[in-house]
Formats: sequence, structure tokens, C-alpha cells
Amino acid sequence: MSTVTHEQAFAHPALFYRSEREYADRTVTFVREGLAAGEPVAVAVPAPNLELIRDGLGADARDVSFLDMAEAGRNPGRIIPGVLRAFADAHAHERVRIIGEPVWAGRSAAEYPACAQHEALINAAFAGRSATILCPYDEAGLDADVLADAFVTHPTVIAGGRERASGAYDWPAVVARYNEPLDRAPDADVLTFGAQELPEVRRFTVGRAASLGLAGQRLQDTELAVAELTTNSVVHGGGQGTLAIWSDAGHVVCEVRDTGRLTDPLAGRRPPEHGQIGGRGLLLVHYVADLVRVHTSDDGTTIRFYLGL
Amino acid sequence: MDATGPTGGPPRLRSGAVLEVRPLPGRPGLRASGEISVTTRPSWEKALEELSRQHTDVSYLELSGLRFVDVAGVAALAVTAMNLPGGRVVVEQPPPQLPRVLELFWPSLRRIEVAPR
Repeated sequence: MSTVTHEQAFAHPALFYRSEREYADRTVTFVREGLAAGEPVAVAVPAPNLELIRDGLGADARDVSFLDMAEAGRNPGRIIPGVLRAFADAHAHERVRIIGEPVWAGRSAAEYPACAQHEALINAAFAGRSATILCPYDEAGLDADVLADAFVTHPTVIAGGRERASGAYDWPAVVARYNEPLDRAPDADVLTFGAQELPEVRRFTVGRAASLGLAGQRLQDTELAVAELTTNSVVHGGGQGTLAIWSDAGHVVCEVRDTGRLTDPLAGRRPPEHGQIGGRGLLLVHYVADLVRVHTSDDGTTIRFYLGL
Repeated sequence: MDATGPTGGPPRLRSGAVLEVRPLPGRPGLRASGEISVTTRPSWEKALEELSRQHTDVSYLELSGLRFVDVAGVAALAVTAMNLPGGRVVVEQPPPQLPRVLELFWPSLRRIEVAPR
């Protein structure tokens, strides 16, 4: 495994595991190889798995950065800028090694398409960069479709301890497949807007979100996120758009549709330059929301974000 | 969301965002009220240029009358502050978006000091 990963600029293996024991053994070996090579190492996995790795590392754990992926990566769309690039950019002159587990058995049907697209887009975001990102997949707990997607989003797959090139590797296919049309709820409150109505659509959204149960910072985040999406529609998406808001399974869902087309698959997933003024809008939405779903085609773009109640 | 006038007549004209910026009496800096968003950003950026031209040690931004600022509006302030030759900008009573966006994108920017509402 180490010979393959060190020769390439960017390595992105999936690790299929069948038990906690196998998980701990393989991830700890992977971390120790990195530490031995002097690489900065980060581990971003759900909290229970974090403990398995921490325990397995013993005293070596103090040299590793740990993040609970269920928090930091709750919205898969913020993992590239907020977790992976954040760590890699903080060590810009070194090869970095990261364990990132964005897909787990409890991910909802609404979340999974965003998870798969995120895994695919890691390949674009890190092309040519000196990094190894290992993505564990729970073979026993995940659906066969999810495991099949991992072969499409990862150039290599480690299963039963052996790393093999994936013949199915074709990440743009997964970005396209999960670019699914999004139907809004029949009971959604809807408002169309142009440049003049930007303050009004913001107030409308805050009023509806509050009556659906959002308060405090989550309500303020809703206002900010809606302001950014509606502004994007006015500036880049044909000058106007339609906002819809409703609640679904413990979340408030806000959605903005316009006639623009998103051509950059990494839009909203790149950390901005420090001195740059524009271009942070979609990134803000990814940072504050629990989930972001996007559908874009020649007919227009729909961006929907979820905030848990 | 009532789109008709008080007499049931034709819909009222809905106005976009408005931003008013004035010099701060007795202190170096500005008072801004209204909203900072895409339609008012040019006047906000002009005001920040003026602030940075007159800046010596400490400049004040009094924002108690500001109802909303978007991400690019906060970014313009952050970039202005980073480009100052020294000193700091004290932001008084900003709307909640301002500290939130600073925390997300410029967590260690010491040039800006926020005095909350």
C-alpha cells in the first residue's frame, strides 16, 4: 500500500472493512506509516470510529489531528473546503495524509447523493496535490449500491487487505448520476424575486423559518444563506428566481431556483483567497447548512439547503 | 406579504435595499444604517475606501442602525482592515451576520474588534 501511495501525487483509496478490529488495524497502520514518513496526519471519521483509531494509536495519537466527521462533515459539501483542504493548506509544503469517512450507515436518502458527489469531487479538488486520502467503507453496514459507487469514485480500493486499481473508476459519472431533479414539497411557501425584492425575500424566509421552528443562530444562518443564494440568482442566474421553504422530517428546507447553470462542479467547495471579496456565497451555505443538494441543467439550477430543527 | 395598498388599490412599489453612510461625529470613522447587500455594496465599498484613507490608529464603525450585511459586505470590511498599515477598526453594535461571517472566514483577524449589540 505504501509504495503505491508514495509514488503518486494524489492517492485516494477506499478502504472496505468488515469489523471494528479490521477497521482499527488498517487505519492505525495507515496513520503510523504517515507519522513514520514525517507526514502531518488528520483523522476525520464519526466519533465511535475516532475512538477505535485513538485507542489503537495509544501515545502516537497526540501527533494526529482528530475531527468528528458527523459534526465537521454533517453536510458533505463542506468537507473539501472545511476539512480536507483546510488541513492540506495548513501544511502546504508537505505531503499530508488524511482518513476521511463521509459515508456511514446512518446517512439518510437525502444525504447520500451529496456524499457520493463529494467523494467524486475529491478527485478534482486534489488532482496533482501531494496528499493521500483514505476513505473507509463499512462493507457489512452499507448498501451494495453505495459500495459499487465507491469503486467509481476511488481510483483504488483496498479490500481484504489488498489494494487494487478500480476498473470502474470514473468520478464524473457519479457527479452526473446524482445531479438529480429535486421536487419541492406541495405545501411549500413560494415567492418569486428579482433584484428589488432581495430584502423582501429575506424577510419572508426568516418569517416562515421562524414559524416552522428555527430560532437563534440557525435562524440567522437561514437569513444569510438565503441572501447568498438569491443574490447569486440575481447576479449570475438570469436576474430573478423563485424561493420555496417548507419543513421535512425535522428540517427546515429552503430552496432557490433560477435559470442559470452551474458549470463549475467545485463551486462553493474551494477555500477562498484571503483577500478575495466575492465568491464566498455558496461556500457560506455549505458551512452553515446540515445538507446542501444541487440540481443543475440547461433549464436552470436548483439549490436546496437543510437546517435541522 | 401584503402586496396591495392600504386602500386595496394597486400594489405598492416595493423598494430594494437602502444604505446610508455618514461620518461619525467626534470620532474617526463612519455610521452606517440600512442594509449592505449586492445593490448597496458599491456605496459601502466607497465608504470603506474613505475610512481607510483617513485611518490613523483606531477607526470606528457604528452599525446600530444596520439591519443586514451579506457575506461580500463583511468580506469588503475584512479586506479593508487587512490592508490598513496598522491600528484597528472597532465595529460597534453590528448585526449578527457580521461576527458570524468573520468567525467563519477570518477567525484570527485581529485588526477588527467587535463591540456587540
